[in-house]
Amino acid sequence: MSTETETQLHLQLSNAVLELEEDLAKTLSQEAVDKGYDAWNTIENGLLDGVNRAGKLFDEEEYFVPELLIAADAMYAGLDILRPHIKKNAPDHKRKVVIGVVQGDTHDIGKNLVRIMLEVSGFEVHDLGRDVPPQKFVDKAKEIGAEVIALSTLMTTTMERMRDVVQILEKEKIRDRFKVIVGGSPLSQAFSDRIGADGYSAKAAQAVLLVKRLLQLDPQAVAA
Amino acid sequence: MSVAIHTEKREELSSLERVVLALQYKKPDRVPAAPLVCGASSRVLGYSYDRWSQDAEVATASLLAAQDLIGFDGFLTLVDLSVEAEDFGQEVIFPERSTALPNFDNPFIKTAEEYNKVKKVDPRTSRRMSTVIEVVRGLAAARGKEVPVMGFVYGPLGVLSQIRGHSELFKDIIRHPERVLEAVRTINESLVEYALAQVEVGATAIVLDPLYSSASVLRKETWIKFEAEIFKSVADAIRDTGTPVIVHNCGGGVYFDAVQEYINPIAVSHAYPAYGSANWEEHAANWGKKVVTIGVADPAKVGHEFSQEQVLEDSRQQIETFKVAEGGFILSTGCEFPPNGNLLSAATMVKAAKLYGRY
Repeated sequence: MSTETETQLHLQLSNAVLELEEDLAKTLSQEAVDKGYDAWNTIENGLLDGVNRAGKLFDEEEYFVPELLIAADAMYAGLDILRPHIKKNAPDHKRKVVIGVVQGDTHDIGKNLVRIMLEVSGFEVHDLGRDVPPQKFVDKAKEIGAEVIALSTLMTTTMERMRDVVQILEKEKIRDRFKVIVGGSPLSQAFSDRIGADGYSAKAAQAVLLVKRLLQLDPQAVAA
Repeated sequence: MSVAIHTEKREELSSLERVVLALQYKKPDRVPAAPLVCGASSRVLGYSYDRWSQDAEVATASLLAAQDLIGFDGFLTLVDLSVEAEDFGQEVIFPERSTALPNFDNPFIKTAEEYNKVKKVDPRTSRRMSTVIEVVRGLAAARGKEVPVMGFVYGPLGVLSQIRGHSELFKDIIRHPERVLEAVRTINESLVEYALAQVEVGATAIVLDPLYSSASVLRKETWIKFEAEIFKSVADAIRDTGTPVIVHNCGGGVYFDAVQEYINPIAVSHAYPAYGSANWEEHAANWGKKVVTIGVADPAKVGHEFSQEQVLEDSRQQIETFKVAEGGFILSTGCEFPPNGNLLSAATMVKAAKLYGRY
């Protein structure tokens, strides 16, 4: 159970992330470690809470892409300090997602936003980056035991690479092991249906709800 | 005995006359149709995309052949959004069958300390911008008296994002605003020359693309500070030559009020309703009579999903929606026609304008 001082530090850490103070987030994360506060509680109630609040401001058009990206950087900076101190009894059975921009495309803002939103919702996200070959999505998902493969593209010329991922899963007879979701400006639900994906999301926040729905999770719950 | 069979009503105006009238809110014979067939034209003559992107003669011949095939009412010389970036030093990848794009594993600006690496370039001699200038020249010489040739310039903040990486640039806007602004100003100086060079070789109008004037990316005030106040000089320089300025932005929630204030285009080509308009009907009511609309078909749906009957119906609905514009409407896709899309659908948009767009 958190003490009042510990709770106060969580709030300060959350505020630091929300206010885009990366250096302060690092200092407070180190302070939590030095004082022996539970690392997982600090992550959840400080760092993740801060990005979650930033995400809400993003949805309300108070924050825009630059602010959300820097809030996420502050969160990642704190995570680097706290992660080695997570106790073994902390939640470590997170639902896993593999995400990336499909081969031939390097536009990754949308993918990055979805990654942030999924992480603050408690998912363990493995980001393969940009220009990712179809087979790599499948291989990574198999390797880490992911349940979801999230594919992003901004270009009409690379949309069909998403179908390749679905076809590889079918060819390897493992299609039912993974939920495949797609997103990006030129896409639509009709496109998702046409290539045999499990879902499409127009916005980052909706992608989280989509994943939770596909995995039959409570929309309000974190995934851990 | 002679039998005359007329299957289609003869066009009364040239494409140029039709578009010029629409841009002045004077109803032409019918709604003009210009579905932004750019890279897709490479397939008409069977060229690879990478060759089309880098060879002015190939691109010119392809665009002319596409106009012959489809009958669209305007050329747009949008080659890709990396044209300017390469000339400022960015390594660009040219896939054989897709749009060229920056190699973001090797950005020209690798750290925030490197913004001063951006130096002014001469678009008349730099490799890719000069290629586009030659495409404009070729199209204007071949068909400029009948079909408008719209040049294209990507905004300075957009160009910078292509040589720094999008995420890094957006973070630098907050962390290193002065460095970003300095680079935007430097790029903009070259863009003034790039726009003027396209005018000099015969462009009918210049399309400016301030992609980040969009609520899906930046706060309005941020866009104004980091692009609009600077990019305005490009629009002014074009107007000073007597050439119309058009804006293209396929982003969501374009700040039409700020775009009007700073760029003041005669028309806007766009894919989504303006910021503050909930749907196309509301957008048409709010903006249809203030600035000519070029759009607004969903490129992916038209190029990849719709049957020809659906393209016809989609186009008919748009023509109907923008009747309130009193002639100030050009039927188009909201962004480039998919380079790998069904070209028949572009032709069907033109057919729809002839069928449903008579004034």
